[in-house]
Amino acid sequence: MDAVEKANSERQKKWTKDQKVGEGTYAVVYRGREVSTGRKVAIKKIKVSQFKDGLDMSAIREVKYLRELQHQNVIELLDVFSSKTNLNLVLEFLDTDLEMIIKDRTLVFLPADIKSWMAMTFRGLEYCHRNFILHRDLKPNNLLVASDGQLKLADFGLARDFADPGYKMTCQVITRWYRPPELLFGSRYYSAAVDIWSVGCIFAELMLRTPYLPGESDMDQLKTTFRALGTPTEEEWPGHTKLPDYVPVGQFPKTPLRDLFTAASADTLNLLSKCLVYEPRKRIGAKEALNHPYFFALPNPSHPSKLPKSSNMASTRALEEVDGNVDQNVAGPAVKAAAPNRLKRKLNSPGDELASRSIARRLDFSQPKQP
Amino acid sequence: MATDFWASSHYKRWIVDRATLRQARADDLLYVDDPEYLDFLAIFFANVISKLGKKLLLRQRVIATATVFFRRFYLKNSYCETDPFIVIAACCYVAAKAEESPAHIKNVVTEARSLFSSENYGIKHFPSDNSKLAEMEFYLVDDLECDLTIFHPYRTLMTLCRKEGTSDDDDAEAGELGVGIESGPRYWGNGDGQLELQEGALQMAWFIINDTYRSELCLLYPPHLIAIAAIYLTLVLHVPTRATIQAQSQAEPETPTLQPRRRSSRQASNASAPSNINQKKSNQDIIGFFAELNVSMPLIATIAQEIISLYALWDRYKEDGNVETAKNSFPAQTASPYTPGTGSKRTLSGTSRSGSLNSGSGGETPIEGGEDNEDNVVTPAILMALLMKMKENRAADVAHPASGRPVAVNKMLERTQLSG
Ligand SMILES: Nc1ncnc2c1ncn2[C@@H]1O[C@H](COP(=O)(O)OP(=O)(O)OP(=O)(O)O)[C@@H](O)[C@H]1O
Ligand SMILES: [Mg+2]
Repeated sequence: MDAVEKANSERQKKWTKDQKVGEGTYAVVYRGREVSTGRKVAIKKIKVSQFKDGLDMSAIREVKYLRELQHQNVIELLDVFSSKTNLNLVLEFLDTDLEMIIKDRTLVFLPADIKSWMAMTFRGLEYCHRNFILHRDLKPNNLLVASDGQLKLADFGLARDFADPGYKMTCQVITRWYRPPELLFGSRYYSAAVDIWSVGCIFAELMLRTPYLPGESDMDQLKTTFRALGTPTEEEWPGHTKLPDYVPVGQFPKTPLRDLFTAASADTLNLLSKCLVYEPRKRIGAKEALNHPYFFALPNPSHPSKLPKSSNMASTRALEEVDGNVDQNVAGPAVKAAAPNRLKRKLNSPGDELASRSIARRLDFSQPKQP
Repeated sequence: MATDFWASSHYKRWIVDRATLRQARADDLLYVDDPEYLDFLAIFFANVISKLGKKLLLRQRVIATATVFFRRFYLKNSYCETDPFIVIAACCYVAAKAEESPAHIKNVVTEARSLFSSENYGIKHFPSDNSKLAEMEFYLVDDLECDLTIFHPYRTLMTLCRKEGTSDDDDAEAGELGVGIESGPRYWGNGDGQLELQEGALQMAWFIINDTYRSELCLLYPPHLIAIAAIYLTLVLHVPTRATIQAQSQAEPETPTLQPRRRSSRQASNASAPSNINQKKSNQDIIGFFAELNVSMPLIATIAQEIISLYALWDRYKEDGNVETAKNSFPAQTASPYTPGTGSKRTLSGTSRSGSLNSGSGGETPIEGGEDNEDNVVTPAILMALLMKMKENRAADVAHPASGRPVAVNKMLERTQLSG
């Protein structure tokens, strides 16, 4: 055994692997422990065993970014080691995610709780954007929550660098309900604003307890969006009709956010509306958002340890994932009928959600090739 | 990660010292007559990567990333125990993915096979199925410890300098050359105010950076220092730029009055560049520019010297196919104001090895002029034969462990079995 192998096997011995807790597109996740401290960890085993097509793009992106990022509100990659023909990522163990919390009907959210989650989300995102990294898949399911209540951005499988501006990127990113209109219109040059839109949708969802803009197809997503926020005008969003996939989807009037978010404070709605500005360049930035009066007005954000938490923790989670169609008989936010909401989001229209994801996740050959 | 180099895996785990580099080549050193061959191999492999990268239509930056992956891999492995060609293919494949311009695995296999079977390399056995490359990718990523974010000098160059007559917001036509970085904290220092370079000079600095990947500099120094060394060499060696600077320093006493003209000198530069070039450049304070960068100038000088010794070595290496390089801008090494070899492996230093290259030159600069050094020239054919011999000798040693050397037949295979 040479030095390299020895180092690896020593790293491997630092961790034990217990039972499987979940499975994603390119990895199986186990619960484990750090041998020396007994600390709970998650071990994400990247499937490469059959060596057919090489490592998945999302696996490459996830390790690439998690190896660099270090922030209280970004999931921590503790270690990597290989076993047989697998790469193993050792992650901090996170009990639950924001999607489960939102769906847990036994929980009541106070405005201070929502403010706390929003602050943690923006802090994690500001850190990513400061380092010129786009997340490109923000949604409640990818905001994991630790046992101490800290919220962490996770799933960097679609993330990418944007330090060198002017590169064409794929618009097939971000789970549909959280995807901003510029991507739906096929924009290939975009920036941090795409993540902000997603955060806006999550913000609204925290208040509504149901997805804010649940479109049933990409086309319907535009309609759903415009129905909720009004069709953008040329003044509001100059040039949007020139975007590659622009299609007119009908004229919908603007309705005040107040009509839907009846209980929200003025500051809350002001920040929400700034996250959902159509013109990407005018959308609020993460840093600016953190300085928004909303975060300084009363009530103060709840301390993370005081935030509502699902009682059914990770153990029951895998089960729920299989059949857990939490029946939400709550009407959608003045938009769609109940249909799209009835399905659990994770499994909702798996066909196209997965399809659009895997297109981006697989290989993006659209890069301009320059010598 | 784009801004915080000091917090990066690149800085924390992959900048090594010379002792580590030597240690990494220890096994290979047992199988070469002269350690200098290993430096030639470093050039040779970088050229192979670059050729494969071009066939795959990868951008320069992606090729640079592939080269850094290759160097890092060989910090932990030896040439004589691995197949550097499959490693090269895997480096290009992973770099393309890590830099968001993925190439299909089938395509990489096809291009690698066709390139490696060409005359220069004559490799007929490169595996044609994807699974071998995929397997190598796994070992590579494992040995890279999943650290796939690489910082390159190019970005620093484009942040610090701009083409004469352009301004910050002119990056539209730029492609990779010339992308302006959004205003953010600059990790490399506190300088503001870019240095204006003539187009040829900027190009030259770019090529010098390309050339540095033919050495192990990317393992030794932070990329922004390499960029600054490249700018420094450009100012010294780019003839028109040097002339301008000289003219400027002569005109120095009068220049202060020209100060206000700087920002508005664009139309002038379009009109009749040659006649007013001195005036226009005169208010560029070169010394101030370097001082503002807040980096150690002696360290920059050391890196510059190492780049020059790379060119000196490269002068003795002949390979077909034209690479874009700044090499030809460098004066023959004897004319260089620097002593080649300082701080780097010395050429054929004192050790009484039976160096087949240029034996007996005893550490002096080996080649003068062009005559009488036919057998000093190193070619890909020589290096391919050398690689073959290294591998055979290694295998023989392994088969007869009497030599006392450690036995490790096929590291990769063994590793797979071991960890099961
Ligand atoms: N850090 C973690 N702590 C605890 N459980 C985790 C952790 N990371 C992932 N899991 C569990 O493993 C499951 C699979 O996670 P993974 O990130 O591989 O895929 P995913 O995000 O659910 O799906 P996809 O790959 O399609 O994005 C998750 O749904 C979750 O239940
Ligand atoms: Mg996920």
